Amino acid sequence: MVNYNQEGRQKLWGKYSKDIPGDHYFLTFSCILGSFYPASETMVPGIYDLLDVNWKTQYESKSGWSCCTAIGYHGDIMPIEATLLTVARLWSIAQDAGMKVITPTCVTSFGTYCECKELLEQEPDLRKKIKRLLKETCDREFEIPEYLAHVSDIYYHHREKIKKHFQYGLTEAKTGRPLQVVDHIGCHYSKLFADKYSLGGSEYCEVLSGMVRAWGGENIDYPERRHCCGMGFRQCMIPPNRGATLSNVYKKIKSMVPFNPDLILTNCPGCQVFMDKEQWAIYEVTGEKYFIPVLTYQELAGLLLGWDPYDVVGIDAHTVPVEPFLDKIGIVYDRKKSMHVEKTGSCDE
Amino acid sequence: MKDPYQFCNRDENPGEKIWDDINRHLEELSSNEIIALYYRLRDACTIAGGEVYYPNIRHLHATPFEREKDRREQRRWIQDKKCLSDVVEWYREARDKSCIWWLENHIIAKHSFSSCMSCGACTALCPAAEFYDFSPREMMTLVQEKNEEDIIEFLKSEKLWYCHQCGSCKTKCPRQNSPFGMISSLRQLSQLKGYHIESLRGRQQYFARHLWGGNLWNRACTLYFRNPLPDIHQDFGPRFATYFHHKEEFMKRIGAHPDMDGPYSGRKVAPATLDELRRLWLAGGALFLWSLIEEAAQKQAQDMNVSIDEYHLKVKTEG
Repeated sequence: MVNYNQEGRQKLWGKYSKDIPGDHYFLTFSCILGSFYPASETMVPGIYDLLDVNWKTQYESKSGWSCCTAIGYHGDIMPIEATLLTVARLWSIAQDAGMKVITPTCVTSFGTYCECKELLEQEPDLRKKIKRLLKETCDREFEIPEYLAHVSDIYYHHREKIKKHFQYGLTEAKTGRPLQVVDHIGCHYSKLFADKYSLGGSEYCEVLSGMVRAWGGENIDYPERRHCCGMGFRQCMIPPNRGATLSNVYKKIKSMVPFNPDLILTNCPGCQVFMDKEQWAIYEVTGEKYFIPVLTYQELAGLLLGWDPYDVVGIDAHTVPVEPFLDKIGIVYDRKKSMHVEKTGSCDE
Repeated sequence: MKDPYQFCNRDENPGEKIWDDINRHLEELSSNEIIALYYRLRDACTIAGGEVYYPNIRHLHATPFEREKDRREQRRWIQDKKCLSDVVEWYREARDKSCIWWLENHIIAKHSFSSCMSCGACTALCPAAEFYDFSPREMMTLVQEKNEEDIIEFLKSEKLWYCHQCGSCKTKCPRQNSPFGMISSLRQLSQLKGYHIESLRGRQQYFARHLWGGNLWNRACTLYFRNPLPDIHQDFGPRFATYFHHKEEFMKRIGAHPDMDGPYSGRKVAPATLDELRRLWLAGGALFLWSLIEEAAQKQAQDMNVSIDEYHLKVKTEG
């Protein structure tokens, strides 16, 4: 490393970096994460409070929550104008609340917010039309937000501050070995507007690996690190198409296995679902039992903070059991709290 | 069913029996009765420990009852012309124009294509191309050649529906094209013109219209937490089945709001919020698109001599 020109590297890295404000976050929630790993959402306010930042979300009935409609857009049942209006409404509520940074928990929402921002900035007539329709239909006004930050950007930005509260590190308790982590960033974070909106662009995925390094682990750059998980919206959610999703997960898992990862860390709710759950399908179809634990970055932070794995982090939602990973780190937990132990007598499968 | 309200006094749990009864007797009910009954059931609540819970939502989602209510209610919204907009008019007129006109005028198509040098970088990276007979490179060539008949053939094909919408192609295109944006635009066009029902995977849009569209219209989300049933998603494994069957208990434990009032996952969306969103989706052309998907499906079901619910099951499971 000493042979490199550090100043030049720093300057070059600026191209792959983004401006993340330290405060005033408006939190928007995800329908995929809320459906499959809801604790990864309910923990975010806890982190924002821990960071002592100003943040808000949608509580009032008139200004209530809606999803961003991005699954419908990429699933081809929403014209772009309907999605633009839905997103404009969410931004309008955030701006009414005085929060300047929109922070979605979902990578698909993030990608869609970026696409909406780009379209509205580049198309003045479209911007006028969406503003007019939002005003006419629900008497709301909005401005294109200055900052879009995925919640993982916020965790990354504050990673050292979060670490100060940790009870555990990302190391093996018995040996002190840094745990080997493969990350999966999610295409709609890293590929849609790579240089402008994502940390590290599509090539130098930094948002999760930066957390991993800061929290004591080591990152593995395996060959298919950037390959799509195959979620594919209509591919995963319309049952006869699921084979495409499974095939892509299998490709990724086969590529990472030679590096003996201790953990797969995900950024995107959809990727989390299929990197976790399709490991069972791979086992059923091929007999190959990988069972590499898959965590969201919110879950990893929650576990290292010492939050209860069952009552707060919600590890029962996982198809691949998380308990062996807890044992590696030395996290203390009460196995009897596991829903799987309570209902089936075992939390192994 | 003589009295549709017989089982559902607002403050009482209607019991399990009512759900089969409603689904079996839908044809006997007027639109007013179906719509009123649905909302009466949806809004019936119980209060325990200071928390408000809506026990009927779980029984209403993704049922023939909900789909029929949506068809009739959305038809009314469109007929009443409340918030119909220039967006809807634009899409209505686009139906009668050529595919080439669409490529030159639809905003997503315009933003997705400048010129293609057919390098194939998009196809080399494409996760769909790896496992399907699909090539974004061929699709971009087709678009560049602007042959109306060839584009129509593509709009009727299975290939149109293989793209995963991941955007891997967009990142690496040396000319900043976006094949994934282009295919998204062409899928809209296929449905506007009714070509989607010519392919097995295009027909699946009828399932999508009621899955995602039903969730949006009734719960303001594209995915409702009770959607992924373990019987259908056996690939998720036995731990998922255990989790799913105790999901409500799990969600409450970690602080979420399954079919409850509250800000977190599973929350019941307030009627005022839903009303606002519906007006946006009408103005934004979503209801118009859904009505076209519905119309095409009804016609094809008739041609196949099956009921619309049998058709729904068929497109959800075939392939």
